[in-house]
Amino acid sequence: MKTIDSKIVYERVCNALLDVNTNIDPRVEKLFENYDGPFAREIKENMNIARTSKMPLCQDTGIVEFFVWKGYNVHLTSPLKDTLERAVREVYTGSGFRKGIVSDPLFERKNTLDNTPAIIHIFEIDKPVIDIWMIAKGGGSENLSTIFMLQPSESYENVLKTIVNHIENNAANACSPIIVGVGIGGTSDKAILLSKLALFNPSTIELLHRYDEKIGEYSQMANELQERFSNLKIGVQGLGIGPTVQRTNVLNYPTHIATLPLAISVDCYLSRTLSVVIE
Amino acid sequence: MQEDITNTFRKAKVGEKIEYTGSMLVMRDIAQKRLVEIDKSGAALPLDLNGQVAFYAGPTFAKGNMVIGPTTSKRMDKFLEFLISKGIVATVGKGRRTQEAEVLCVKYKVPYFVAPSGCAAYLANCVTNWEIIAFEELGPEAIYRIEVTGFPLLVATDVFGKSVF
Repeated sequence: MKTIDSKIVYERVCNALLDVNTNIDPRVEKLFENYDGPFAREIKENMNIARTSKMPLCQDTGIVEFFVWKGYNVHLTSPLKDTLERAVREVYTGSGFRKGIVSDPLFERKNTLDNTPAIIHIFEIDKPVIDIWMIAKGGGSENLSTIFMLQPSESYENVLKTIVNHIENNAANACSPIIVGVGIGGTSDKAILLSKLALFNPSTIELLHRYDEKIGEYSQMANELQERFSNLKIGVQGLGIGPTVQRTNVLNYPTHIATLPLAISVDCYLSRTLSVVIE
Repeated sequence: MQEDITNTFRKAKVGEKIEYTGSMLVMRDIAQKRLVEIDKSGAALPLDLNGQVAFYAGPTFAKGNMVIGPTTSKRMDKFLEFLISKGIVATVGKGRRTQEAEVLCVKYKVPYFVAPSGCAAYLANCVTNWEIIAFEELGPEAIYRIEVTGFPLLVATDVFGKSVF
């Protein structure tokens, strides 16, 4: 048994949530170095202003999703969900981030005023660590999430076309250049989960196979998709110039003989994902 | 003053960049839904939309600033005809709209502008003043009147029937 103090988890997650909403991922900043199309000045200055002023990069600071990989023998001093919710509440109410969550989604839609609840997934692993992945997920990109229950006999080409069509038809309504996460296999819910995990940075995704050896990565397919996306002329902010998709990842999982679930998730260009490992 | 703005808007061609100084009404999904319901019930609207610019957005407040940026306009398309009937002269948001909405922009000479998305810290510096006009209990979904200076806009659908998308 290994004990980790929940106070440390709380502090690390608070810092990460502040960081992810105000400090642009250097890879994204680099992507815009040579961009001089529409709103180039605003996009670049925004990154600098957010970094120095600690104002959020985007007014939509998202619904926070956590994907936690927790060692089976790790003991925390407080319930993990409480710790994560407290961190969201503290950071979002204390830093002027938008409180953008409503309870009762269909009828009352009443603002919860502290951006909770977060969406929390906890997975058990065989490592003496706790690895917390988080994403500040904006509503515009989340509205592009979709699932196709394809037939097992579906051709590879048609799978590619299904994904490219979805992005072609919808990318102009998210904030491009977007990140495309694809999940193939499992069940409908598993495929969606994989597609969300596929939005993280490649170096983070590399850890997945160590946490669950049944999760595979179709790298060649991701390259082929990325190649086809490069022909889309949607461009930065949907205005026709620059890249439409900045990165694509495809994760896979074993599935039922009768099914071929295909899920697509999208993240906006700001790529507000981060992970913290606590040993 | 507002008439000048309307004329400037109507001359603007697709792809053209404007640095807008003036006022906008911030409103999004639920606020517009409520306005339509109030109007249908026969009651008076809680604000005057005539001659105003509608900005599809939901702000947050940080470091003494209103931090704001556009949300997806397509979700607001079902309310566009209503807004136009009440005198809205332009709309501001992000992303491609439905064909039906683009037809309305041309028919009623109400251009659609996009503002840079995911640039809220930058746009915060363009907002000089703000006040809540209606539905305060909705928080970021309330209707605000904002004053902006040098607010970057790009003509996405002009009144001549051209769209940037």
